[in-house]
Amino acid sequence: MNVGQLSQETFRTLLTTSGLRVKTGPFNLSIQTRFPRLIDQLHQMYAHYALVNEAEIVEFHVRVTSMRSIRRPLTRLIQFEVDGRSPFPPVPAEQALATLEWGINLAIAMRINHLLLFHSAAVERNGHVLLLPAWPGSGKTTLCTALIHRGYRLFSDEFGLMDPQSSEFFPLPRLMPLKNQSIQVIRDYFPEAVLGPEIPGTLKGTVAHMRPSQESIERSDESAKARWIVFPKWSAGANLSLESLPQSEAFLLLASNAFNYEVLGETAFGAVTSLVRNCECRKLVYSDFDNALKALDALTDG
Amino acid sequence: MADSGMHHHQLLLDALVQPEVLTRYSSQQWELLLRVARRARLLGYLAVVLERKGLLDSIPVRAANLLRSSLIQARKQQQSVSWELNRVRWALNEHKVPVIVLKGMAYLLQALPNAPGRLFADLDLLVTKEDLEQIEFSLLDKGWKHHALSDYDERYYREWSHEIPALIHPERGVEVDVHHTLTSPLGKLKLDPAPFREAAVRVEEGLYMLSPEDMVLHCAINLFQNNELADDLRHLLDFHEMVLFFSNQEPVFQQKLMERANQLGLGRPLFYGLYFSRLLLLSTVSDGLEQQLNQQPGWLVRQIMHFCVPLALLPLHPDQPSKMAACARMWLYWRSHWLRMPLYRLLPHLAYKFYRSIFPEKVAHSGQVR
Repeated sequence: MNVGQLSQETFRTLLTTSGLRVKTGPFNLSIQTRFPRLIDQLHQMYAHYALVNEAEIVEFHVRVTSMRSIRRPLTRLIQFEVDGRSPFPPVPAEQALATLEWGINLAIAMRINHLLLFHSAAVERNGHVLLLPAWPGSGKTTLCTALIHRGYRLFSDEFGLMDPQSSEFFPLPRLMPLKNQSIQVIRDYFPEAVLGPEIPGTLKGTVAHMRPSQESIERSDESAKARWIVFPKWSAGANLSLESLPQSEAFLLLASNAFNYEVLGETAFGAVTSLVRNCECRKLVYSDFDNALKALDALTDG
Repeated sequence: MADSGMHHHQLLLDALVQPEVLTRYSSQQWELLLRVARRARLLGYLAVVLERKGLLDSIPVRAANLLRSSLIQARKQQQSVSWELNRVRWALNEHKVPVIVLKGMAYLLQALPNAPGRLFADLDLLVTKEDLEQIEFSLLDKGWKHHALSDYDERYYREWSHEIPALIHPERGVEVDVHHTLTSPLGKLKLDPAPFREAAVRVEEGLYMLSPEDMVLHCAINLFQNNELADDLRHLLDFHEMVLFFSNQEPVFQQKLMERANQLGLGRPLFYGLYFSRLLLLSTVSDGLEQQLNQQPGWLVRQIMHFCVPLALLPLHPDQPSKMAACARMWLYWRSHWLRMPLYRLLPHLAYKFYRSIFPEKVAHSGQVR
């Protein structure tokens, strides 16, 4: 059963009492909040997620509560909690959805070490994963958003989750936070995209979340191996180039950017080595979406 | 403990005392246990216990994944702290000052059974007061830094505490706590560090750890003298496992432990350690043992501690924290401060901490970064 099949009333009751238990890729979440605006936003944005089966363990218990501050008595604030602990200071209530999403990502990054967590977008085409690792100016979320509107299946815009033993990647389709100018770019290019409210004034500027497609969520148990690693860079007015990147360089970029490379130590070293050896590693510079998409289509054809 | 509101405590204690029960826990029980054990920082411990018994594949996969994740984290921390010790030894090499390793790192050096899954991020060292300045200077000279501290914190450490402000090497981020004694110099319990140093066991040239008896006593002091006990069950577990381990190694260990405690005036914390490991962890140490201790608490104090300590040591329910436990924790918080400093110091200290909790930015950077 999906969140979208719940009546507004049942949905609200779950969130305000025992918690809404939803499955996102390999992890289960329980979300609690009494904050009406967030409840409405989640009903729309989480519609495609499946409810957790009765007999399954939920790994992450998060809550968004409203709170008062002695220092800012007139501002409505909310606090994000995971298992009763708050990793961030309170933020204005309008930022509830963005804080919830970041908080869940943070909890995953802090707790999960049985998988290697690359800081990377990941999409699938023709049965194989294309990794788009984050690096300064990469615009990975924007590019990833464009790709999934052109037939690629979303794994994640934030985490490349890899089992270090089997090298298998797992989808974790979550809301995709578009930032600042990207919001309008995506609205113009893909008017069919379902976007949440624009949230101004966050640490990363204005944010609007895009809902992943129903298909990507329904197929989130289908893992795949990576075959292409493309380091994207958006540069105004640049001519398109998709050059091959030495494996050594790809290794360093990937390893230094993974959330838990150091924690996994030798295991991670072995896993990243075999990953770059088995993938085509490229560097993409682009200024125009259509050209970039054509080049990536050509790379991932067949 | 029979209260249904304390169900989560029993889930955790049963898992610690008799890990085989874990293969029979339902998903619901696992879900609550995982949250409670995370708060108690015991996921890594459970992972090691289950791994030793070959049971990690007999529990739900999601639980096993979280336990493994925590164990991987613990192993990384142990590697980092071991390396930090190596670097400290390198930095102090030319001075030939003897260093005694305390707490987590010492458990690792001693190869205690509770060490492998134990999460710990700091390196704790004991040195003589005379060597302190030289050591601090050498470490600062070789790249370690103090946190930015407010003037108040600086003074708190220098004058009223048993350690200097933590030193951190910016490239590695491991906290090095250098102690010159084992309890606060202002506290009611005046402890001479000299006998601890004299009895210390050599690991290698210039590197020592406390003798087995002293290691157990230090653990008890930290629990019942220096700390506030909140969520501290893992330290009681350390205590319990150590007593068990050393008793198996040496038949007269328990007798030596009693004598040492009486000799050093540490009967009270040791009494509590033994009392609560029997109450919560079902320790089989004979209950006649602590009758030999001087300074046993009186009947009333014992009743109060019997009621309050488990409520503090055991983690709160993540969704329904009990008011009673909050009160017990508050009382033990006051108690620990009361034991550590006289009232005329304590009240301004707590007032300052309260002020800082409301206006963190006003004090955070008034100190100088060095």
